[in-house]
Amino acid sequence: MTETVQERILCPVCGGPIKIDQQDKVNRCEYCASPVLGPSQSRNCVTHPDILAKEVCHVCGDLVCEDCIQKRVGEYGGKLLTIVNCDKPTCIAESDWAKPLNEEYQKLANMDWADRIDNLILRITGLGAIIMMVFELIFFIGVMFYQFLTPWSIPDISIGALGPLIMIPVAILLLNILGNLMSAILLQSALQVYVHERQMGAGITLLVILIIEVAHLLFRGLFFGLLTFPNPIFLPLMLGAFLFGTILVFVGSLMAIYIGNKKRVQLKETQEKLHLSIKP
Amino acid sequence: MPENDGYTILDRPWGLRMIGVTQMAFGIFGLLATIGLLFATLTGAFATVGYLYSLVLFGGVAVPCLFIGNYVDDLRRWAVIAQIIYSAIAVGLSGYLLYVNGLSYNWTIPLFDFSIELAIGNVAAFIAITQTLIMFYLLIRWQAVAPAPGTIVERDKSRARLIEAGLMPSPLEPALLAPDGTTTLTPDEEQKIMDIRKVITEEGMAILCSNCNGATSLTKVEDNNTVPCDYCGVILGVGSVFVPCLNHEEYLAATTCNVCGEHFCRQCLTVQEPPVDEKWQGSAVYLCKKCFEGRYRPAVTTASLVIPIDQLFSIAGGRFSKVGQMYSSFLSAYANGMKHLWRIPLQLLKSVGKSGGGGNDNAAGVLVMIVIIIIAIPILAGILMILGAIIIIPILFYAGLIAVTVEAAKIISGTDFESVDNARVKSIHAHRKPKVKESKLRPSVRVWDDEFRQASLEHQRIKLRHDEERRQREERRRKQQQAASFWRTEND
Repeated sequence: MTETVQERILCPVCGGPIKIDQQDKVNRCEYCASPVLGPSQSRNCVTHPDILAKEVCHVCGDLVCEDCIQKRVGEYGGKLLTIVNCDKPTCIAESDWAKPLNEEYQKLANMDWADRIDNLILRITGLGAIIMMVFELIFFIGVMFYQFLTPWSIPDISIGALGPLIMIPVAILLLNILGNLMSAILLQSALQVYVHERQMGAGITLLVILIIEVAHLLFRGLFFGLLTFPNPIFLPLMLGAFLFGTILVFVGSLMAIYIGNKKRVQLKETQEKLHLSIKP
Repeated sequence: MPENDGYTILDRPWGLRMIGVTQMAFGIFGLLATIGLLFATLTGAFATVGYLYSLVLFGGVAVPCLFIGNYVDDLRRWAVIAQIIYSAIAVGLSGYLLYVNGLSYNWTIPLFDFSIELAIGNVAAFIAITQTLIMFYLLIRWQAVAPAPGTIVERDKSRARLIEAGLMPSPLEPALLAPDGTTTLTPDEEQKIMDIRKVITEEGMAILCSNCNGATSLTKVEDNNTVPCDYCGVILGVGSVFVPCLNHEEYLAATTCNVCGEHFCRQCLTVQEPPVDEKWQGSAVYLCKKCFEGRYRPAVTTASLVIPIDQLFSIAGGRFSKVGQMYSSFLSAYANGMKHLWRIPLQLLKSVGKSGGGGNDNAAGVLVMIVIIIIAIPILAGILMILGAIIIIPILFYAGLIAVTVEAAKIISGTDFESVDNARVKSIHAHRKPKVKESKLRPSVRVWDDEFRQASLEHQRIKLRHDEERRQREERRRKQQQAASFWRTEND
């Protein structure tokens, strides 16, 4: 192959140039370093010539089958990435800095089964929490609007020398800001149900915050005297949204607790089976 | 433009922006004054010399201030130099005026049936102070405000934002390559290929082209392990192993996900900046969707290694601290503003007491002025304070909460995964490199800092040079010893 032709070969991953340095070994893309077959390289394992290769040794560049590989997890600038080496002593020695992958543990602790349900839980709790957050934001503005721009007012409140002129805005601000903060915490917890390790804890946290949030809303409703609210649409609409959000978060948190517990049991059984004392 | 080597308009210091706005304000006042003066002269309220004054005002204040003010905050070296020269001239002239006529120098300016007493001395002092500050600021912050000659500055804000955010690492320009793999096609040729290309084949497993994304059957792989793309004609290398994509059996896997090690096609991989590590050779790191979302945990024999997902929701959570920082900066700026606002009436009051030469003795006017100073300005300050407390702070608070909500909506919609395949098509259509998308569910990969890379390369080069020099020295010493021993032997 002439040099001119060689320069034209593009990486099938990124489109970067491939310089053919080796005819019977993999050559790497000059940009992304992805391996590409050499012009006269066989696609089979170097040790088992009748078996199609599955991986490339990151040290020597040989193609190897599943029987000849070792998978390792190496730390690159704080990130854990998977690398593969063949079973040649030199390649094993060169890869010694990376930790061998415990494939048996990997298999037993695999949580792929939960991918779909976790996606569903994330979306249910997330949507519910977003609805509650939006509810709180609108509720705040709504109460401010009706208090200061319409004849309706919450009941007079006085504490000592501080009369209703000061105490009404203060009470509205404080109670609603508290509601906003709680809905923000709810939102943060709702998103964490997607993390395997935090799923059960996030589910329990969600339930607790949900109970407090509902109680806080009921208290605000009674304290502000919302039963005498003049607008016949605003309050039912807001309550409907809040109820919908509450149901979503409630269902999502129960699901998170159930699935999170299943994962916890799976990990515990795996560790017992493999006699692992430390949680990997 | 090399994105990492140039400046963007977003690098502009805040002070430079303020200078631009101030100069523009001077320019607008100059323009208004010119029009007023011209009008007064035309209507006969001012002597003929008014034409000359208006011309001086227009050419000396309005035009240069508007022109320089428009360019000085765009990180332009020549505009900064022009601003310094202009400020120096303005300081010189206003200083001279103050020296000759003093601070209490006033002009009586006719306005319809009235006349206005303009404290030109005060105006000159204001100009002198402002322009001195501007001049000093520009000189002190010279390195930050005046890019070195030849430096490219991206002034388009949307493009600057794109550069600041980072681009998906890719060696390809946002245009389709011609079959030679180096030149780019014309837009018409490009469109033709994009219209006819197909992403599936009827001849079994296919390889996806990294240039046009078209699918070419593996039956067309040549003996030298390359395959010409059926649509754009570029020659593609064939991925090292013949393994189908884990999600799409109809495609040959392009490469492996660098996190979990599974094989995927271009439709299932996204690309990010590589980790900052000398061990890593490539300029990109590929991730499948699962790893992009941070749901893969490698099981290793020791407990010390886990996927670093501790800061999983720091992006959304960070909004709170950002809002907190905004509160803090706002409150300190607000407190500073208030301090000056209270100082102004006191100073004005003081200056009214001093007014004399050239001024009038209108006691009623002075009283009105005092009333304005004592009542109006504090009321204005009070209103601003109330606005600050009641409107601005809740708005900031709300902005923070809305930002968190939007961030959460993005996370649950899960649309941030952008495959290399999609990114390529988008970049061809938009003729713009795609923006990098970091996972919201996984801590972002640290950007490979060019300085770090250059420093490490330089370090390697120096080390190699030292090794080579050491080797040469040792070689020379060995030869000298051999020569010496040879001559000794000869002499002996």
